[in-house]
Amino acid sequence: RYVRQLQRLQLLFSPTAADARGAREFVEEAAQDFARQHPDVVLYVSPHAGPGPAPVLRAEYLNGTVRDELIASKTSEEIVQLATKLASQSGLDIIRIRKPFHTDNPSIQGQWHPLTNKPSILTVQGPRLQPQ
Amino acid sequence: LLLRAARPLLAGVGRGAALGTAPSTALSTAPPPEKKRWLRAYQELQRLQAPPQRRSEKPNWDYHAEIQAFSHRLQENFALDLLKTAFVNPCYIESEEARRRQLGLDKDAVALQLQDNTGLAERGLRFARTYLAQCFEGAYPELPAKGIEALVNFLTSQELVSYVAQNLSVQDLALCRDFPAPPDVLQRTFLAVIGALLESSGPERTGIFVRDFFIPQLIGKDLFEIWEVVNPMGLLLEELTKRNISAPEPRITRQLGVSTVLPVYFVGLYCDKKILAEGPGETLLAAEEEAARVALRKLYGYTENRRPWDYSKPKQGLAAEKAISSN
Repeated sequence: RYVRQLQRLQLLFSPTAADARGAREFVEEAAQDFARQHPDVVLYVSPHAGPGPAPVLRAEYLNGTVRDELIASKTSEEIVQLATKLASQSGLDIIRIRKPFHTDNPSIQGQWHPLTNKPSILTVQGPRLQPQ
Repeated sequence: LLLRAARPLLAGVGRGAALGTAPSTALSTAPPPEKKRWLRAYQELQRLQAPPQRRSEKPNWDYHAEIQAFSHRLQENFALDLLKTAFVNPCYIESEEARRRQLGLDKDAVALQLQDNTGLAERGLRFARTYLAQCFEGAYPELPAKGIEALVNFLTSQELVSYVAQNLSVQDLALCRDFPAPPDVLQRTFLAVIGALLESSGPERTGIFVRDFFIPQLIGKDLFEIWEVVNPMGLLLEELTKRNISAPEPRITRQLGVSTVLPVYFVGLYCDKKILAEGPGETLLAAEEEAARVALRKLYGYTENRRPWDYSKPKQGLAAEKAISSN
């Protein structure tokens, strides 16, 4: 069955900083709807008072990966889109995909090996049998 | 705006800058006063070399919310108190009582009102074993009891269950004494979760749960990787006598590089001059053994090209009645 790989989202922002305005609007308007639509993701909202680091959305996945995304100067809709994107990802590292194709059945009739079409030693080679 | 966004994400840097410019009024709630700029590299080294901590000891942790999210993630309705009992391990209870006794509390306060997960774990293990055995008996009717037992033992073994439990975040929620949780604790916790599901939702849904999480672990695995068979030829002879087929005759079908360091022999097993199976090997004995294994795989229906497992909705009643009656 499908198990969402995102475990929890932590929204770390400051209640007074100017670039955290989108984060504050997200918390006021869209956070509850997001939490209701994704009941298997735990959303933590932690405002830290006073000037602090830039507002960040921290995503933790089931395989232990922790991803930080900056949400400074982003609007509330953009943060919602970002959160849904993170919710549909798995925790695997984001690296270049070497090949855009993969198959579990590389060969249908069996892979060729030097003995594929060679007759076995036991086949008796002789004159053709006469029809009865 | 650009400057603030380019700030590093460490909390210490910002606060250090603020302390230098203006007196901060948030000292009462802030962590201990930051050290000077020239100690920051050392602090970073200390942070990287710190021992790993449980997730429950790091900031932002709500146990009840995490448990609810856990049950939603698995798309199951759990009775939450049963689920919370399922995560409590006996080693945790002992360590907590020892800690309280050390702190010098009364006898009443020392005894925790928490129940173990050993009962739930036993029930979960029994149910999982019987359910998986029934699944395999239905899917591979030719497989003997020892083979089914080997498959079930593999699926309920410590490594596999702890691997599944780790990837479902059970290690964050489980309460135990050591960190990181050892594999037998994870296995017991996950089986207790299955037991809790059995109590809350009944045997049918638990059967579907066990099927969804355990049977995909068999994908890509060969039968004789899981089931150790010492003498495949003897086993094959027994199987053939059961079906009243004469004993197999091994003959060399193909051979390559006989006089080299790496010869390849294909030995075929013939019953009444009809081919049963053919297997390759480096020496004649190895090839004969491999041919016997291929023949056994064909007879038991566990070849690589068998139909994949059927994960569709099961028929109502049948599996549940069997599970209840066997329990």
